Amino acid sequence: MSAPRRLRRDPRGEKAATAVTGGRRPRFDLGAEARGAAATGPSGRPRRDPRGEADRQRIPGGARLRMDRAHRGGASGPGQVVAEASAPAQRLRTIAAPAFLVGAVIETSAGRPTPHARQVLGAARLLADGHPELGEGAVVAFTVADAGDLGPVGADRVLPLGDLITGDYDPEGLAAVLATAAETLGLRHLVFAETADGGDLARRVAARLGEGLFAGAESLTATTVTRAARARRTERRAAPPRLLTLAADAVAPHAGPLHEARSLAAADAGLGHAPEVTRGIRAARRIAADPAAVSLAEAEFVVSAGNGISDFAAFRDLVAALGATPGASRVVCDAGLMPRSAQVGASGTVLDAACYFALGIAGAPQHLQGVAGCEHVVAVNTDLHAAMIERAGLAIVADAQAVMPALLAALAAEQAAAGRDREAAE
Amino acid sequence: MKVLVLLSAGRHPASGRAGPVPVELAAVRLGASLGGADLAGLHAGPDADAVADALGHGLARLHLQPLAPDADPLGALEAAVRRLAPDLVLAGNRGQGGEDAGLLPYALAARLGRPIVADAVALASDGDGLVAEQALGRGARRRVELALPAVVTVHPSAPPPLPFAFGRRRSGTIERLPAFAADAPAPAAPFEERPYRKRPKLIAKAAAGASAADRLKAATEAASGGGRVLVAPDPAEAAAEILAHLRAIGVLKR
Amino acid sequence: MTPAPTLALLVLILAALAVAQALRRARLWRRGRPAHVDWLAGLKALPRRYLHDVHDVVARDPYAARMHAIAAGGLITASVLGVFGLVPALGHSPVYGALLALAFAAALAGGVMVGRRRSPVKPARLSGGRFRLVPPALTAYAGGGLLVGIAILAGPGFAALGWLGVALAAAGAAVLVYLLGDGPMRHVFAGALHLAAHPRSDRFEGGRETALHPVDLAAPQKLGAETPADFAWNRLLGFDACIQCGRCEVACPAFAAGQPLNPKKLIQDLVGSLAPGGAPYAGSPYPNARPVAGVGGPELPIVGLGAMVHPDTIWSCTTCRACVEECPMMIEHVDAIVDLRRFQTMELGAVPEKAVQPLLDLRQAEEPGGRALAARGDFAAGLALPKIQDRPAEARPAEVLLWLGEGAYDLRYGRTLRALVRLLGAAQVDFAVLGAEERDCGDLARRLGDEATFQDLARANIATLSRHRFGRILTADPHALHVIRNEYPAFGGHLEVVHHSSFLDELVAGGRLAVGDLGAALPGAVTYHDPCYLGRYNGETEAPRRLLDRLGLERREMARSGKRSMCCGGGGGAPVADIEGERRIPDLRMGQASETGAAIVAVACPTCTAMLEGVTGARPEVRDIAELLLAAVEAAPPAAAPARQRQPEPVA
Repeated sequence: MSAPRRLRRDPRGEKAATAVTGGRRPRFDLGAEARGAAATGPSGRPRRDPRGEADRQRIPGGARLRMDRAHRGGASGPGQVVAEASAPAQRLRTIAAPAFLVGAVIETSAGRPTPHARQVLGAARLLADGHPELGEGAVVAFTVADAGDLGPVGADRVLPLGDLITGDYDPEGLAAVLATAAETLGLRHLVFAETADGGDLARRVAARLGEGLFAGAESLTATTVTRAARARRTERRAAPPRLLTLAADAVAPHAGPLHEARSLAAADAGLGHAPEVTRGIRAARRIAADPAAVSLAEAEFVVSAGNGISDFAAFRDLVAALGATPGASRVVCDAGLMPRSAQVGASGTVLDAACYFALGIAGAPQHLQGVAGCEHVVAVNTDLHAAMIERAGLAIVADAQAVMPALLAALAAEQAAAGRDREAAE
Repeated sequence: MKVLVLLSAGRHPASGRAGPVPVELAAVRLGASLGGADLAGLHAGPDADAVADALGHGLARLHLQPLAPDADPLGALEAAVRRLAPDLVLAGNRGQGGEDAGLLPYALAARLGRPIVADAVALASDGDGLVAEQALGRGARRRVELALPAVVTVHPSAPPPLPFAFGRRRSGTIERLPAFAADAPAPAAPFEERPYRKRPKLIAKAAAGASAADRLKAATEAASGGGRVLVAPDPAEAAAEILAHLRAIGVLKR
Repeated sequence: MTPAPTLALLVLILAALAVAQALRRARLWRRGRPAHVDWLAGLKALPRRYLHDVHDVVARDPYAARMHAIAAGGLITASVLGVFGLVPALGHSPVYGALLALAFAAALAGGVMVGRRRSPVKPARLSGGRFRLVPPALTAYAGGGLLVGIAILAGPGFAALGWLGVALAAAGAAVLVYLLGDGPMRHVFAGALHLAAHPRSDRFEGGRETALHPVDLAAPQKLGAETPADFAWNRLLGFDACIQCGRCEVACPAFAAGQPLNPKKLIQDLVGSLAPGGAPYAGSPYPNARPVAGVGGPELPIVGLGAMVHPDTIWSCTTCRACVEECPMMIEHVDAIVDLRRFQTMELGAVPEKAVQPLLDLRQAEEPGGRALAARGDFAAGLALPKIQDRPAEARPAEVLLWLGEGAYDLRYGRTLRALVRLLGAAQVDFAVLGAEERDCGDLARRLGDEATFQDLARANIATLSRHRFGRILTADPHALHVIRNEYPAFGGHLEVVHHSSFLDELVAGGRLAVGDLGAALPGAVTYHDPCYLGRYNGETEAPRRLLDRLGLERREMARSGKRSMCCGGGGGAPVADIEGERRIPDLRMGQASETGAAIVAVACPTCTAMLEGVTGARPEVRDIAELLLAAVEAAPPAAAPARQRQPEPVA
């Protein structure tokens, strides 16, 4: 016998269960039900607990009631949203006989496509799927280094080009190969990332093919692509041309079904051997960025000290341990504790960093102007009402001077643990 | 070494007034940094009004290749470069006035049969060649050795332009090159132009597949701050939270 | 031969040598550029300029005033009397002897007073070196003359005493002549000639000629001053007039903040560049002086690491004119600094690193922040800001044109401007703004030496302003006020400009705004900080104080106020030059405000607001007088408020 699909509620019984004993008037604690075992409703779906959520959102300390609405009862850390998204098992979509091909040039980092490259694939997918009148298009991913499995990110075919170029930096050779492939495969579109190397490659290919390039697309649909023009004063819109480069964070990565990411042989693309190229680049050597020496304007991650910091040796150690670039507030620079070049703010450097970690900085308006462009702000300050706390995605109301040694200790402990793991692995 | 800097007619992003393009002025400075370089500017257009201020930024001479306002400058520039025969052609990585796509230096290099290297922030001559330091973003660099003659574009992270000096602007010279029979303008792909509208960037947190509510949350959070607040936590707990957060947003890599 | 005519001869020789020294020095001045000087008017005005303007400044130090009157008056009277010793009949007249003795006694007393200034301890602002020779030389000369006088008075039997006096006087006179040519006594003739040939003839007798002189950008000569010879000759004369009294260094905010500027040393470096190898400088140095080669000459550069003056020195100046205001010799330090900056900026492009972008944006966007001109009105956020272009052609001219200035882009200063706009509404003033047609006034460009950009902006603004019909220009920015009122006339713009402090005072005095008593709402006293460009540059120190007094607030004065106020550190492009010192000027000024015990510093300038608001720690609150007045208007009893328009203030 199967259980009934829906349980019947027993309102009387439920109410009785929450009755508060003692006292002459009947009293009921309606929160008790939610706190109790009934975390799932009769239908089996998780039930919301508004009171409990409110309790967990409440910020301890302080006379006023403050709620942290963004903090949904401890459930959602910023990283977990993405993890959840990729969890469900995916259907495989195979495009055996594509009506046309869309190329995507994939940049990799540590054996995986970069986030920007995934967006390029997303854009290519959009262009391949956006013309039902033409039929199904397939996406060909061009890779130089190993990019891992490109099926989940929307590639139907993968064409590795690493063997066709010389050395690990050969934009001239690569451009010739891609230009040839574009012709022989009859690519309808070829999408590049508007990065330093991707943008360079796209322009080389365009110059080789004698074609136009739609550079730095900021929005893309199958019929319309836009980009900034005339010193960002106008927006140019057109139908997507053959060659285009995609600005960062403009198009979402592919999130639909799996694609087969079948390897293509270079010979099938008319690339049996590398095309003849006269190379003017004789040698190239990559120099990694040294976060400590990078200019503030170029830095990706800035850790900054303000009035609440007195131990600058520890501050410098922390900056080095975090692999960040050091910054400082005006007061600290005025006092000569940090060089003037480290000053963040309207009168110092205006940052373009991905993350700004402010230690002991209250956040004067001029200072906040300097970090207006930072996507993430983390702040440690003793004053709950400081502007920097307001601005921060993660704010710690505490003495920054006390948090610094804790951070250093935590990083050191992690490093030691990582060291042990390595030894254990060997 | 003979260095020629391509100058395009730029516009100030706020005022829309005609003027030189900052990254091309940075190219002038890089050209001057080559020590003893014979440095001149080249502009193709109806007049030199927009680029003449470059003379105040360290350029002593400016060649004007007269050209109809709407003509494709590629042929004219190719002819001018062939006439002036510089060892090195410098350009900004994005010129203005045309497509603003940064394609022209590549097309010019292809026509001239010269190698091109993009996004230089430093230059040094090296025997018969050139060493260019390329900006790869976020402070990373690549040192590229290339043969001359060549075309090199300059990145905005290069040292800023030399300050404007009115006296030098006043004493600089503008030389007109012989008129060039321009190609008919290339049949441009049809496009539409509208006032610029800033588009919201994708937020990494609310990646594909996230619900609409999560995307909304991510978007409003980024705009207003208003994230999590921990009041008076234990320092060790605070440190753990901070490190976890920094890892989640991807800036802490170790 | 008796002592009396010998003394007379001595005086004549002294006078002749003085003239010779002056002529020798004048040959140096003539290496400068020509200048138009109205000698007749200048010489005619000399006594008045000396007795009125110079004395007013000298009298701020009563001891120095008495000392100078007695020493100089006694010396000149006694020397003139001494010449009469040539008249044989007087050589034995007891009356003459008594007069002579009296005059020399006065000079002697003066000489002693000069000596006592540096004894037992020399104050830091005064120079040592050859200045230490002045008291003995003066006392020897005067004492000798006194002996001669006594000898004449005492009769023929005392000739020996007379001869002793002559010998003593001769020794003193020799030293004085030496000090005339290259030493402190040069100020006697250089100062007098400087007063007569002063490059700003309208600054005397109550005039405030403070506008910078324009540069002829089309002239073939170099722009600004590179070498001493690039200064006009009467400027070089002015540098020579310096008596190194050090009043300028006491007044200089950059000096106080430990930045490498000392106006006195700068003037002496200019003198030393013109005539290398002169008397060594023995005053206080530039604070935290940057090393330079110290090589100079009439045709050699003044500024540079291999020259006399480090660039940081000229970029430290806030152009506050405190040094000029304090200078008893009427030297124009700020003009000299701006001339030096003009060469650095326009010929070399050697501006401080952080000033490059603002100057470029001024050139290309007509706004130092590179912001859109149309965004200048964004601060109003819902308040009506009528544009002058929208007025119907047949309407009568706007009562005032509100010039918003650069402060309109600043979040903090937007509050002040909103208060001002609401006050204009409350008083039903018919006002309008220029909207996107308002360019920067050009103050920053001009002070940083970029005269070319300034002139472009000035001409464009004048053309715009001449197209519209309005009564007066109203502005809350003293820098814009000064530039438009005093510097645009040279380019054909003759406009009446009123500062909001004066205008609001008029409104309240005329009954157009009813004010309540703020005493209860704002406990604690208020102190008013004079903006340099309003007080010193334009002499407007009373209206803001009158206005504050109407609000029922207790007003206290800082030790330095009015025309002798201290700068906030925000003028002359100093914030963008950002020359490192030991302290910050606004911190010093805020310290002076705190000393009064006031709870509020009243300000009347966007730059002062920004600089003083940048001071951290416990301090008085910074409020613009417009904000205070608005609070008072809102505190007024409703019945008394005539026809007030309540405009909701949106939350910023």
